[in-house]
Amino acid sequence: MRKTAAKRKVNVHFDPDNVDIAVEQGENLLQAAIAAGVRIHASCGGAGTCGTCKVLIEEGEVETTRTKRLSEEEYEQGIRQACQSRVLTDLSVYVPVESRLERAVLTREEKKVSQVLATGWRFTPPLSKFYVELPPPTLEDNTSDLSRLLRGLRQRYHLSNLSVDFSVVKKLAKTLREGDWRVTVTTLVTAVKPRAGDRRRPRLINIEPGDTREKHYSLAFDIGTTTVCGQLLDLNRGNVVAESIAYNGQISYGQDVITRIAYCQRPGGLKRLQQAVVSTINDIIAELLAQSQVELEHVGHLMVAGNTTMTQILLGLEPKYIRLAPYTPVANFFPPVNASSLGIKVNEHVYLFTFPAVASYVGGDIVSGVVGAGVHQRKTLTLFMDIGTNGEIVIGNSDWMATASCSAGPAFEGGGIKHGIVASEGAIEEFNINPSNLEPELGTIGGAKPKGICGSGLINIVAGLLEARVIAQNGKFNPDLPTKRVRRGSDGYEYVLAWAPETQTGKDIVITEVDIDNLMRAKAAMYAGCQTLSKSVGLGGCEFEQVIIAGAFGSHINIERAITIGLLPDLPPERFVFIGNGSLLGARLTSFSTDLLDDARRVAQMMTNFELSENVEFMNNYVAALFLPHTDANAFPTVSKRLAELASNPEQRINV
Amino acid sequence: MAFEIPKTVYTGKIKEIKLGQGDKAVIVGGETAYPFYLFEGEMPHPPRIAMEVYDCPPEEWPEAALEPFSGVTDDPVAWAKKCIDDYGAEMICLQLLSTDPNGLDRGADEAAQVVKKVADAIDVPLIVWGTANHDKDVEVFRRVAELCHGKNLIIGPVEEGDHKQIGAAAIAYQHTVIASTPIDINLAKQLNILLGNLGVPDELIIMDPTVSGIGYGIEYAYSVMERMRMAALTQQDEKLQFPIICNIAKEVWKTREVKIPETEDPKMGDAKKRGILLEAMSAMCLLLAGADVLIMRHPEAIKLIREMITELTTK
Repeated sequence: MRKTAAKRKVNVHFDPDNVDIAVEQGENLLQAAIAAGVRIHASCGGAGTCGTCKVLIEEGEVETTRTKRLSEEEYEQGIRQACQSRVLTDLSVYVPVESRLERAVLTREEKKVSQVLATGWRFTPPLSKFYVELPPPTLEDNTSDLSRLLRGLRQRYHLSNLSVDFSVVKKLAKTLREGDWRVTVTTLVTAVKPRAGDRRRPRLINIEPGDTREKHYSLAFDIGTTTVCGQLLDLNRGNVVAESIAYNGQISYGQDVITRIAYCQRPGGLKRLQQAVVSTINDIIAELLAQSQVELEHVGHLMVAGNTTMTQILLGLEPKYIRLAPYTPVANFFPPVNASSLGIKVNEHVYLFTFPAVASYVGGDIVSGVVGAGVHQRKTLTLFMDIGTNGEIVIGNSDWMATASCSAGPAFEGGGIKHGIVASEGAIEEFNINPSNLEPELGTIGGAKPKGICGSGLINIVAGLLEARVIAQNGKFNPDLPTKRVRRGSDGYEYVLAWAPETQTGKDIVITEVDIDNLMRAKAAMYAGCQTLSKSVGLGGCEFEQVIIAGAFGSHINIERAITIGLLPDLPPERFVFIGNGSLLGARLTSFSTDLLDDARRVAQMMTNFELSENVEFMNNYVAALFLPHTDANAFPTVSKRLAELASNPEQRINV
Repeated sequence: MAFEIPKTVYTGKIKEIKLGQGDKAVIVGGETAYPFYLFEGEMPHPPRIAMEVYDCPPEEWPEAALEPFSGVTDDPVAWAKKCIDDYGAEMICLQLLSTDPNGLDRGADEAAQVVKKVADAIDVPLIVWGTANHDKDVEVFRRVAELCHGKNLIIGPVEEGDHKQIGAAAIAYQHTVIASTPIDINLAKQLNILLGNLGVPDELIIMDPTVSGIGYGIEYAYSVMERMRMAALTQQDEKLQFPIICNIAKEVWKTREVKIPETEDPKMGDAKKRGILLEAMSAMCLLLAGADVLIMRHPEAIKLIREMITELTTK
């Protein structure tokens, strides 16, 4: 291949990173830095208005558009705004510390991969397809169509003990002849009791003319209180073909499960909520099919994981008694349901499986997450946390499991936060604060202009403000700081994260004392839950060998900062593992493996639920946790040590 | 085998703090065992009693409480002197009732002058108790702290909402702060941490757990104080190893059971005796829970408590 000689390549060297990159002459210096992996802070996005991307040109020449952000003195010293500079010759550039974007901002993509921790399972999807060629009936062999089919399946695949859906019988005669006695059948198995001797009885659910084995798909869903996520799975290859997420349509009827249950008490309320979530599911299915070009008729199964309330509403079951003491769900194990009977737009033969629930507030989503994370497969003492509106925790290993749920509130999903939004483009996720002038460095999802704050961003912001002593350990602002960013707003004191001209909304984006309070309550509920549960099972402290964090936003949490605010126990970072949406992960894996489907049933049975709502110890622990990181400094030794170091070094921020 | 009485294992010690200045300064704290558990540890300084003085004539006191102070209730200085000279008060607590924005709303300067006068007239430690209105207390205590620099007053209540401002004044002019929280061990601890973060030295902090009298929830106060001492002494919880002050008198003397005259409800019995006993019994409960300083009102009640303290601290 010949290179075009239109523009000369020049070399740019960046310090202190000590990296080089060859770029075309005239390339923007900020772009060159980004291409080289050198992260420079540019809060205005390269418009030249913020003056945060200043670099020192040590050797070589650039062509720069001067702005008023650069003083005469700086210009003389060779300082330039990277975004306003074009590379003319080979360069050596020094990026001063105040212009550097912390590394944390960039690790997002790397962390996004969710880990599959469950191991040792066989690829044996509960949904299977079998192709048979049958001898056409003759006068000598005029046995019934169904017997012929079953005989064929027995001979060819040793499939016996089948139960046959009537819908199959209904179209049997026609389909067999249409396919010229060459047909594909679909079978489905359910979980068997974790007791030896139970014989699995496959259910014959569909018959198609010809060989359709190549087209063999199913759906996995996580029905969350806030969002619904779906994946289209290829059951031949064992991979995800398409993935989509949408707000749960029930959201306009209330933010949390309690208000949803209350809504169900109104006339027609349950039906409306049921239809709302079904319509969300249908939208997602349509989106998945459009993305993948898979036809609806080749989708044969739905695996759904959701909390107990979401599951019951989806199935159209009155959720009233979930809310009333002594908090009883309708069932722990729901039998398979015909999906189209619920209004889900799939073929009539498609069954919907739900995950077994442990209790009213520990639902199938947790069982799914635990199975997906393989907690039940190892001896390692594990803490499994699903961080969301309803925080759930599981402590245990392959021998035992204890679980509890603690209502954390919607703060982790951006709810109840003045400028809170769910994690989406423009959500402020990364936050660092310059200790000398208290100016923020923001990182948003997708690098877009800031629009609001998402849950993981909230944690980073509060941790950052605490370490810079902008807020005290009780979450209250220090009003006497030399910065315009701390000011009195309508909700008391607040910190301005982004000024109106820098935002998508055209308004200042702030974090208020009330927001911080809400986050503290949410994290206190989670931590107090862990503490109470571990004590209930006789463990001394939060000394877990492994901590698995699930939850859609979980994978983007910065562990150190989550420990700083006291959300996660103060353990070495290498003990933490993120699995992202654990509920969806479990739904996917059980769609691939009947072994894991059985495990889910076993796990649900082995979990012991502890009711925290009636627990005095939990209340005490909760109040003790309403502090940053915690009232008990001994429980957070590394954080306390760091805060003490920062406190003893206040001159850091005196010069502006 | 001889029977051995089981003993609590203590690992902590309450901090010793000095209140006031000069010869009459007192030291409280220093316990290495539960209150009066002299068979298990030390209680080097007996609990102290501060007598109440108001900065304006009290209007709603029952007769029994006013009687010992007749003639001095309109003059805080004379009142304080009477407490010391006639009733042997070892500390005075000046209640700044007149500064209440919902009452007389007396200005900060004027209030501070009164405090200064009282402080100059007496040699025992002086506690100055505000109205718990954050804005007003900040204003008042800033002036008080400045005017009385060097007296080591004990000022409060300092709550989470005003701890920074009052704490800063206390650091600057070296007064002791009363860290006051609403009957919650965790909140108490949190405020102590916050005061520490602010730079208030440990020897300038005394805790007020918020108390009430018998019949008005004293068991809650008792339980919180008991847990504070357990955490401080047996769980090495440093942030709770502070002496405790209890502002009990005004809680007792404002209750219906104390105020109602015998004529109105004869079966309640003699009003004076009733008030004195309720104050003494409430105070005694708090002593057993761990109080180091009691703010009391009636000389008879105080006498009873002194006797109890003497008896309980004699080895």
